[in-house]
Amino acid sequence: MEIDETIQVPADPQTVWALLSDPYAVVECVSGASLGDQREDGSYDAKLTVKFGPAKVAFAARVDIEMDARARSGTVAARGKDQLGGTRFAASTTFRVESPAAGEVPGSGSIILVHSEVEIAGRLASLIESGASLVVKRMTRDFAEQLTARCAAVADAAGTTSGCD
Amino acid sequence: MKVYQRLAQAFRQEGVTATFGMMGDGNMYWVTELHKLGVKVHEVRHEGAGLGMADGWARTTRSPGVATATCGPGVTQLATGLVTAARARSPIVVFCGEHPTIDEEYIQHFDQSRFAAACEAGFVRLGTPETTDEVVRKAFHQAKLESRPVMLSCPMDIQQKNFDDDEAYRPSAELFTRGTIHPDDAALERAADIIAEARKPVIIVGRGGEWSGAGEAILRLGERIGALLATSLMARTFLNESEWHAGISGTYASRPAISLFEEADVVIGVGASLNRYTTEHGYQYPNARYVQIDVEPHVMMSGGRFADCYLQADARVAVEAIDRLLALRSVNNTGYRTPDVKARLVNHQVDRKEFLLDPGTVDPRESVVTIDELVPPEFGVLSGSGMTPGFANMLMTRRRRMVQSGHFFGCIGQMLPAAIGTVVAMDNNPSVLLDGDASFMMHLAEFETVVRYGLPLLVVVMNNECLGAEYYKLDAKSMDVNTAVIACPDLGAVAVSMGGKGVLARSDGQLRAAVKQWVANPQPMIIDLRISRTVPSVPYRRIHYGLDE
Repeated sequence: MEIDETIQVPADPQTVWALLSDPYAVVECVSGASLGDQREDGSYDAKLTVKFGPAKVAFAARVDIEMDARARSGTVAARGKDQLGGTRFAASTTFRVESPAAGEVPGSGSIILVHSEVEIAGRLASLIESGASLVVKRMTRDFAEQLTARCAAVADAAGTTSGCD
Repeated sequence: MKVYQRLAQAFRQEGVTATFGMMGDGNMYWVTELHKLGVKVHEVRHEGAGLGMADGWARTTRSPGVATATCGPGVTQLATGLVTAARARSPIVVFCGEHPTIDEEYIQHFDQSRFAAACEAGFVRLGTPETTDEVVRKAFHQAKLESRPVMLSCPMDIQQKNFDDDEAYRPSAELFTRGTIHPDDAALERAADIIAEARKPVIIVGRGGEWSGAGEAILRLGERIGALLATSLMARTFLNESEWHAGISGTYASRPAISLFEEADVVIGVGASLNRYTTEHGYQYPNARYVQIDVEPHVMMSGGRFADCYLQADARVAVEAIDRLLALRSVNNTGYRTPDVKARLVNHQVDRKEFLLDPGTVDPRESVVTIDELVPPEFGVLSGSGMTPGFANMLMTRRRRMVQSGHFFGCIGQMLPAAIGTVVAMDNNPSVLLDGDASFMMHLAEFETVVRYGLPLLVVVMNNECLGAEYYKLDAKSMDVNTAVIACPDLGAVAVSMGGKGVLARSDGQLRAAVKQWVANPQPMIIDLRISRTVPSVPYRRIHYGLDE
């Protein structure tokens, strides 16, 4: 499934990028997720618990992160399987932080463009059918809310939001 | 004597008292002979429905149901019913004619053996008059031994030949006995080891547990180890007199039950296949070890998983043996059986989520509870697949005989036929069928069969004028739900036009009055109950919308 989100956050692109380029901070915005140690090849171990309907599924994943500071963009690719070994997933998310479009008042914040592709295969896929994509969409929305709140908190502290200008 | 006469006699000798099917060139002489022998021949409106009726008979009595179709075009109608019955492990013998051996260009020519194989049914063919007894015996033997449908295919010209043997027919039952299967000692010890250590054991009982009469033994074992009791969908309400019964395990489990199941460290499957639905592929029991008891040499659980300890045994014998071993070890655990768990199980299945109803419709959740309350427990209930059982299976909790006809193949349309077979098998015991509108309409003509034979069957059509499953799947994907909407005539009026009773109900009061009327005088009747599309069942909310409740 593919999901596109445009997230408006109340902080300038520089502040948002500073936050997004810290993988630990980003993962904290994903409920049920935690990032482990970085491996020699640069990848990370991660854990993610997802509720599909009433079923809690604990995934262990390997995460690769690529960042392009100049373009203020990045790619997070994760793949893993669940504790019982019956379900595999692969997800790839690219994001880019932009200034508000021309015509809008500068200093009013940033826009994060997010594009995700998520594949779920195996036993669980046969049980949850279309529910899975709604779960992933809800997770994405939740992530956007968390990220927005975080950006607002950082911006407030730094006094960089439009309201503080 | 003609071969067809001997064939009919052989069926009678096998204990056949009722058949379901349609007469045609290939089976008409045999059918006429059955009439003479006192067999209740049920002439139906579609061969596939006749097969479904034999399936209902088989599921109710565990003895072979008998269906019949002429040949060729009559046989091809059997497809869905055959696969459903094969998956449900229903013993059935289907008597079919076959094109004459002397006419390969016969208009109804069809390779029935390949058809039977594709439909997962056994196949036995009458080749010569001398083998008449042999093939009937073989068909019944195979149906019972393998617990599946077997097609007996008899070419028309062979049926008309003379049968000269005057020896008495020897029915298949004389030729083999099935003893009780006792568990292996070492496997039994391993099972006892695992169960003795369990702090949170769940016993899941399936049809096998019910069939073997393991009920009391399960209650005793449950008491000793502090187990939570649950059933597979097929055995729903079995043993729910126990206050430690948590309902159906798996997709139809209530939210409080799921929370309890997730704590389990051991799951004991008693005559239950523990398939993907029953354990949610294991996700409902993430930390459990499994002990599985079944009469099969081995049963693989869903997704290639195996029980930690498998016992090939009769369910009752194995459960009693495990209980004896645990008694010797003085096992007596509290397990789940605490006041807190008991409190969590009170009315655990009630779905409290509120929905606004479409005008002129009822809340299907309330309706199934009303029906459960008004229909006496000695009356049977049958439910369909698709959306309807999401309400009936979770909310109807009175202990009663219940047949689920479509689940093994995920088909619709098989429910009315199965209900007819069940009512006939139970000697006209009144029964209620809850079915969706699309499913019921598929074999609507068979309601006329219900009327013609005066069967005490109440059909409650849970009518939301749509293909329910598809409607909610489209909705979840934000697609046009109206493509799944199909207007439906007043089925109460249709019932009346067919000679039965019928009511269109748009309120709980109208439903109550109609059900009471039927209970007082059970006869062929349809209640066309208009239900609100705004209420998705709990399983649908989980599966299609990814919601917890």
